[in-house]
Formats: sequence, C-alpha cells, structure tokens
Amino acid sequence: MDSLLASVLSYVLIYRYAAIFIIEFFGAIILPLPVNAAMLAVGAFSSQGYFNLWGSLTAAVAGNVLGDLTDYLATRKFGEIVIKKLRINKSRFFLQLEEELRQDAVSTVFSSRFAGSLSSIVNFVAGFVGVPFFSFFIPDLLGDLIEPLVLMCVGYVLGVYWDNFSSVLTIFAAVVATGVIMFILFRMYRRMTKRRRESAETSDN
Amino acid sequence: MAKLGNNGFRTYIKYALIFLGIVLVILMFFLVREIVYIKRSEDINIRKIQFSSFLKSHGPMTVNDAGIIAPWMTFDYINRLFKLPPEFLKTSLVVTDSRYPQISISGYARSEGMNATVFIGEVQSDLRDYLINKK
Repeated sequence: MDSLLASVLSYVLIYRYAAIFIIEFFGAIILPLPVNAAMLAVGAFSSQGYFNLWGSLTAAVAGNVLGDLTDYLATRKFGEIVIKKLRINKSRFFLQLEEELRQDAVSTVFSSRFAGSLSSIVNFVAGFVGVPFFSFFIPDLLGDLIEPLVLMCVGYVLGVYWDNFSSVLTIFAAVVATGVIMFILFRMYRRMTKRRRESAETSDN
Repeated sequence: MAKLGNNGFRTYIKYALIFLGIVLVILMFFLVREIVYIKRSEDINIRKIQFSSFLKSHGPMTVNDAGIIAPWMTFDYINRLFKLPPEFLKTSLVVTDSRYPQISISGYARSEGMNATVFIGEVQSDLRDYLINKK
C-alpha cells in the first residue's frame, strides 16, 4: 500500500465522515488522491460496523458533487480570463471538447464521471462554455452517486480483505477511464467527420 | 489553411485513438494477468475458505487475523475490529498520548521515536495474548 493511501486511511479513521467529505471534495476538484481505494476501504469499514454505509455514501457524494460544482462555478465566473491568459482556448482538444459539451452536455458530463481526471477537465470546460446548471448538476449527481456506491458495496462484501483487491481495482478503474476517454474522443471524431461531410456537400451544391 | 488544420487534427485523433487502443489492450493484459495471479496464488487459495466464511459473517476477528494490523490503523479501529476493551491496548502498551485511541499506530510510533514495524509487532503480540487468554 502506498504511503499516500495509508495517510488517507488514517485520516478517514480519525476524522470519519468529515475526512470522507474532504477527500472526495479535493479529489473532485483536481488533486490526485487515491479516492477509489479509499472508498473501497470505507465500504469495508462499514461492514465492520465502524462506519454507517449510508452516512459514508452521503458524505462521499456531497463532497464529490460540491468539488465538481466548485470547478464548474469557478470557470463559469472566472474561466474566460484564466483560459485566455493560459492560451488554452487555442488548443484543438479544448475547442473540440467545448463543442462536444455544447452539443451533448448531459451524456458527456455523465460519462466523464468515470474517466478519472478527465472529469475535472470536463467540469472546467462545462463552466466555461456555460452548460446550463441543471444539465451539469443532474448527470454529475447521478455519476457521483454510482461510482462511490459501487466501490463501497464491493468493499462491504470484501470486508477486511479489501486490500487484496485494491491493485485489481486500480487496473480496472484505469481500463474504464480509458474506455470512457476513447468513447468521448470517438464521438468528437464522428461529429467532426459528419460536419466536414456536410460542409463538403454544401460546397458541391 | 483551415482544411490543413482539420486534416492535422483528424490525424491527431486517429493516432490518439490507436494509442488509447494499445493502452487498453495492455491494461486488459495486466488485468487478466492479475486475475490469473490471484487465482493461482497460494495465499489467496488458503484465504478462500476464510474469506467465504467471513462473507457469511463480518464478526470480530480472531487470533489468526492479528497479522492484518497495518500502520495506518488507529487504536480505536483495532479495538473495534477485534472487540477489545477500549483501554486494553493503552494499558498493555503503556500509551500515554492524550490522542489515544484516535491516533494511528504508525503516528504514535513516530511521535514516540519508535520503529513502526517493531511497534506493530508489539501490538500483534499483545493482541494474540489477549485473544488466546480470552478463549
């Protein structure tokens, strides 16, 4: 077990629900914290009666959603200035992601919840392009509910042996994240090809 | 110029997709390897019986489980896990820290200038003695 996860777990055991909330909050904002492994452990702690599963889930979802909303609202308010200063607005990937979010905000926000750090990028871009609040909030809440619920349930079933499975879980999460990123990129590519075909047809006519 | 840019981006996306496909295949390989390793592992096979019985009941741990104690665990968590009297570890290990039981065992060892591994050994030993005598 790496030392960061060990420290996180100690804090979770000492500060309980407040620690779950804070870890999820900062993990959602952008910090690379071992949130998935921690939630697996919290599920295991719940099975031992050390935590209440529903209380933990509430703290995790609240922290995660609030973190995502912080990203979203921050860029909604200050995004344009920062993005122009950093010159990210000239990045092709950024422009395509922006287009993707404008076209299909709900499914992009929802699917990106399972794409690791891409979810933070999507939060920032969603705020920047002005995705309507509820089009962001509802899929975000749903995604943020499913992820910790699944992890905590798996941890609950595994009990004290959760640690034996945390390395498999890391690989599994990486596979899911890669799959989601590929899905989003594929949709961007398809949309671009379609647009190009349409513009070619218009110029032919 | 714009056309050239679009073509460039298209190529970029193509390569990105190919790269991600390769990454996915590699990750799948590691996932399968890990699963096969876990299945073959003697350690896991031995634990299978313990594990299935544990799934039926998440009851208190026994003397055989003392080895699971890890540096990140707090005294409070260990007390709960093994159903120990709240003051048992404090008395047996002569813990004077006011943060007991809400302090991790590695944190306590560090604050007392002790080696964490040695201290965990002491915790396990006291725990085993208690659980054996309780029987």
